[in-house]
Amino acid sequence: MELTPDDSVVFMIGGFALNHTIFNTWIIMALLTLGSALITRNLRPDVPPNRWRTTLEVVVGLIHSQISEITGRRDRRLLYFTGTLFLFIVVSNMLTVVPGFDPPTASLSTTTALALSVLAAVPIFGIGSRGLVGYLKTFAEPSVLMLPFNIIGEFSRGISLAIRLYGNIMSGAVIAAILLGVAPFFFPVVMDVLGLLTGVIQAYIFAILATVYISAATAPPPDGKEPAKDQT
Amino acid sequence: MSVNWLTVAAQIVNFLVLVWLLKRFLYRRILDGIDAREKEIAERMGEAAMIRKAAEIAEAEHKAKIAALRASRADTLREARRSAEAERDALLAEARKQLAAEQLDREAHRAEEARKYTADLHRSGAEALVSLTRKALSDLADETLEQRIVAHSAARLSTVASELRDAAGASREAVALTRDPLPEKMTGVLRDELAAALPGFSLRFETDPTLAPGLTLRLGGAQIAWTVDSYLDGLDAMLEERTGRRAERGQAGAA
Repeated sequence: MELTPDDSVVFMIGGFALNHTIFNTWIIMALLTLGSALITRNLRPDVPPNRWRTTLEVVVGLIHSQISEITGRRDRRLLYFTGTLFLFIVVSNMLTVVPGFDPPTASLSTTTALALSVLAAVPIFGIGSRGLVGYLKTFAEPSVLMLPFNIIGEFSRGISLAIRLYGNIMSGAVIAAILLGVAPFFFPVVMDVLGLLTGVIQAYIFAILATVYISAATAPPPDGKEPAKDQT
Repeated sequence: MSVNWLTVAAQIVNFLVLVWLLKRFLYRRILDGIDAREKEIAERMGEAAMIRKAAEIAEAEHKAKIAALRASRADTLREARRSAEAERDALLAEARKQLAAEQLDREAHRAEEARKYTADLHRSGAEALVSLTRKALSDLADETLEQRIVAHSAARLSTVASELRDAAGASREAVALTRDPLPEKMTGVLRDELAAALPGFSLRFETDPTLAPGLTLRLGGAQIAWTVDSYLDGLDAMLEERTGRRAERGQAGAA
């Protein structure tokens, strides 16, 4: 039994083994991109919205409003990042129910990559919002003595994000595989339903935590200066 | 369980590419569409507010006009009544004028009809009178009217002979005018009587259909007539008197 889709090679490209994690990620990327492009291809104010466009508007609007509630401002750059994080994870977790499809989020490499992306995004957004000096000053708050702990905390946040997502998704898949061998007609279905629920929750938690981390890094400075709203 | 760092790097790249793709094909389009729609809704609401404001202004103006119309209704009605009365008076005057003209026409027509009727009556009366006289003479005396007239005129010639001679002047020709040609017997009688009363005068007979029954004798500038004209004039006077009385009675009855 393979615990991670990293070990399963789909085909070789010039000596590079293309595993299921990357291949399935491309499938999800294609699904999201093509679906979005098809639905939004004829998007004009004079054309009345159809049900697909309305669904997308609701999804994007919900993500945007959630981010706005956490950060207190409407930041489009944050929406691009955490919204994509949420959509990628939730679609990946939903596809767990497709037989033979190994979700990329069940790979520690994928969750590590996402966690590293968040880890990199926090200082990038923070520097973009506060400037380099202003961002570095936050590590010395509330006093210089807290500097090593803040640095450790910064990295531990990324690691915890990666492990949490990987553990939940991988464990669900593993448990479903074990139960499939024990009681193939009942428990796997229940576990799959449960896996869908936990997959959505994990995606939500991952995206929310990423938003909170980035929001903390981009929070307005104590002097009360508000960053520009609805930044693109 | 291990981390494949090559896969990690690939997944980071994949994720960043996905961020760019979704930004390009999802978020920007959806958010721009929502913004455009919100903007359009805001514009429409603004237009609606402006239209509503304009409608309220128009309603206020309309109400003001209604109030002004109600206030000036009495004046308008008075003016309309005055105008209607003037129009009525003008129409009545015109009608009276037309009525008077028609009455004049009717009176003229009636007078013409009366004149025609009277003339016809006179003509018929004259013809009846002459006819009755002829018939009475024929039935009672076995004579014609022309015989009686010629006999009578021949008898009277001797009494007016001197006056006729004087009136004739140098002329020595007498002309006997009748409506119809006289019988030869009568022309002889008349010729004899004229020769007896006025010796030296010749007699010539002529006819004129417009003359009344009788005999007219011309000598130069003088003329003496024995016709029924005077009787017909009397008949006319009598008829006119009768018709005048009848008209007076008709008018009195109508009054």
